[in-house]
Amino acid sequence: MLNWLAAKRRPIHQAVGYFSATPFPSANMAAKDARFLVLDFELTGLNPRKDHIVSIGWVPVHQHEIVLADARHYLINSPVSVGQSAVYHGLHDHQLKDAHELADVLTELLSRYAGYVFVAHHSQLDEQFLRAACLRCFGKTPRFKFIDTMQIEWQRLLRQGKVVKHDALKLPSCLKRHGLPAMANHHALEDAYSTALLLLSQLKPGGAEMTLADLYLLSR
Amino acid sequence: MEVADVTRFLADTTPFDQLNEAALAQLASQINVHYYQAHDRVNVSSDRLILVRTGIFTLYSDQQQLLTKLQAGDFYGYQQLLTGLTDNDTLLCEEDGLIFFVAADAFHQSRYQYKNLDIFFQRLFSRRLHQYREQQQSSRFTLKISDVVQQRKIAIRPEQSVQDAARLMSEARVSSLLVEEHDKLVGIITDRDLRSRVLAHALPANTQISQIMTRQPHSIDRHAYLYEAVQQMSQYNIHHLPVLDQGLCCGMLTATDIIRSQQDHPVYLIGEIHRQTSVDGLERCSQHIAELAVTLSKQQVPAHEAGHIITTITDALTQRLIYLAQQQLGEAPCVFSWLAFGSQARMDQSLNADQDNALLLEKEPQGEVGDYFSALAEFVCHGLAQCGITLCPGNIMATNSELRLSLKGWSGRFARWIATPTPDALLKASIFFDLRVIDGSKGLFNALQEDILQRTAQAPLFLYHLTQTALQRTAPLGLFKNFILEQDGKHKKGLDLKKRGISLITDLVRVYALSAGIHQVNTRSRLAKLVTDGVISSKDSQDLQDAFDVLAQLRWEKHQHDLAQGHNVTNLLDPAEISGLSRHQLKDSFAVINEAQSRLKQRFCREL
Repeated sequence: MLNWLAAKRRPIHQAVGYFSATPFPSANMAAKDARFLVLDFELTGLNPRKDHIVSIGWVPVHQHEIVLADARHYLINSPVSVGQSAVYHGLHDHQLKDAHELADVLTELLSRYAGYVFVAHHSQLDEQFLRAACLRCFGKTPRFKFIDTMQIEWQRLLRQGKVVKHDALKLPSCLKRHGLPAMANHHALEDAYSTALLLLSQLKPGGAEMTLADLYLLSR
Repeated sequence: MEVADVTRFLADTTPFDQLNEAALAQLASQINVHYYQAHDRVNVSSDRLILVRTGIFTLYSDQQQLLTKLQAGDFYGYQQLLTGLTDNDTLLCEEDGLIFFVAADAFHQSRYQYKNLDIFFQRLFSRRLHQYREQQQSSRFTLKISDVVQQRKIAIRPEQSVQDAARLMSEARVSSLLVEEHDKLVGIITDRDLRSRVLAHALPANTQISQIMTRQPHSIDRHAYLYEAVQQMSQYNIHHLPVLDQGLCCGMLTATDIIRSQQDHPVYLIGEIHRQTSVDGLERCSQHIAELAVTLSKQQVPAHEAGHIITTITDALTQRLIYLAQQQLGEAPCVFSWLAFGSQARMDQSLNADQDNALLLEKEPQGEVGDYFSALAEFVCHGLAQCGITLCPGNIMATNSELRLSLKGWSGRFARWIATPTPDALLKASIFFDLRVIDGSKGLFNALQEDILQRTAQAPLFLYHLTQTALQRTAPLGLFKNFILEQDGKHKKGLDLKKRGISLITDLVRVYALSAGIHQVNTRSRLAKLVTDGVISSKDSQDLQDAFDVLAQLRWEKHQHDLAQGHNVTNLLDPAEISGLSRHQLKDSFAVINEAQSRLKQRFCREL
């Protein structure tokens, strides 16, 4: 029994180990040269200890370009019913039938995107859920580097001396402000794509001199 | 993995709108997205198809000349993908935006899979998008003679007897025969002739057909439109028209053929016009013209055919008014030709055309002759105005005594314009040098036209100045969001489809036609003849004709739109209202005009 568990877990631990062992780019690296992975999760709620990931979407950004060929979207088998949150993200239990195991998707994420800086809109939430998911699946979580397009936007607006209203930092408002195409309703991949567009737009004013350190600072 | 926004955008973009869902998803997954800020330079050497998603991008040549601007739905980079050759153009972002880069493999794959996609990019590349059709036109309503005429020819020789004729007609169950000698049409004979010219006069059964046949009958080309046959039959009150194919007789068109095929054809209006006995009656007929135009457009009659039909109606109104005037004023004191200039002459009249006409007289317009034609012109021009064809604001009308001249008078006037091409004369040239006889003597008109064409073909200085005038106006670079991009980089609000497009083509085709002594006046016919005579290449001719069709079609649709909205009919197009394929086609049509203008300049402005 224990042997079986060990056999099953070894490759998964390898993914965590590999991710942890891969260094992140130096903080002095120009932001334009860094590789980003923009992520979004649809969730059953906002509490990482109780709630679950329903779907994951991601798009990589290389050299300021969104690479749609490597974009992914996975529905995740949930240990509990989707319940009330279906109202928001439109996913229902019956749609989750051919969904993926969370551990498989995390394994792909960690092994493919080791060394990438992760990006999310309101990344604190996504990071908490990602860590919780790794802990649940692998008993261990690597450290992630996240930058937050929402925080960057907030700083940007503050610096422009604007009063930041209640809804101004939500993703659709940000897209509108940046003149970017409006997004489809909540869907992990659509949100990740829109967040990636927002990131590209936010990286522009910094020019070539902007470093990852600058971005981390702005994301705080 | 496809992103909905990307797929949706592709699905709305010509030519990807023709791909099925699976192919769209496949293509969408092969795209990279890049965000550009104003002044950023787009990397154009990456061997990928560039599709603008948002923003504005400006393309400069290696000499920093503004080539064009690209907006959402516009492409770049296909040139390199199609030919493998790079150029040194620069693409600069002017207004922040997103660009979709489609990988070369995905681009080529979809080209191989979808023939139409390939055609689109080939045409875009060769600037021949104005020749691209999204789908085959649906069935045409405008029939040609060849569509309805019976494909059998029943002919008899003139030396045969009337009894032979009667027998042949009974056998073949026809009401008329073609009379031919050595394969040449010499007359026709109808069953009515057998009654009124043979039986009624108690002629014997062995009477030769040549004695009683109608000689030199009116005839019609098998490629003519059916309504032209209706027009002739109404005008001359005949029911049989021999049909010619390249000068040789190939059959007979009868009134019954027409009725059978065309019972609900709107152009019965023309027949109606020729039955009217008063100007008020003609006015009532003309009130149906707008309706007719709407019907034609519903039937997807192409613009050039519609223009032809509308002109034919104006012709019919004119002819009937001249007939009515003579009923009132008596027979004309001498032979005359009623002339039309401009768009009526070219047979591309639109719904907002005004009158451009004149009189050519056998005698000098003095005394009795002068008074008669003055009264006739009054009657006809005001009659036309009553029928909704407005008086010419420039007073180019037969009511103007300056425009009622003898052959000598007209000839002298044209000779002066040709010999001393003053700016005023050249301005007039664009109207007066397109002329056609509407009614009266064809012979008199032919003499004048011959005289004019002989002069113009020998007048390089005149052609030089005419070319200069034709080149004064240029086509814009392109249409762009909600403005017109001019060649000097300026933006304008509206596009006058006539002044900035259609007229440019008629103007330059006219120069060629006058230089080559071509009798045709219709722009399409001129282009065809210019190719036959080896004046311009068939490719250039085809390009110009297609560009002309694109512009004429847009104007026709604009007029339809105006009519439907109850607005005044205008030629001014709001670029914001035009999208997708039409915008690409317009841009290419402008390019065709620009090229044709520079070739015209090469030809007529060099040697002097």
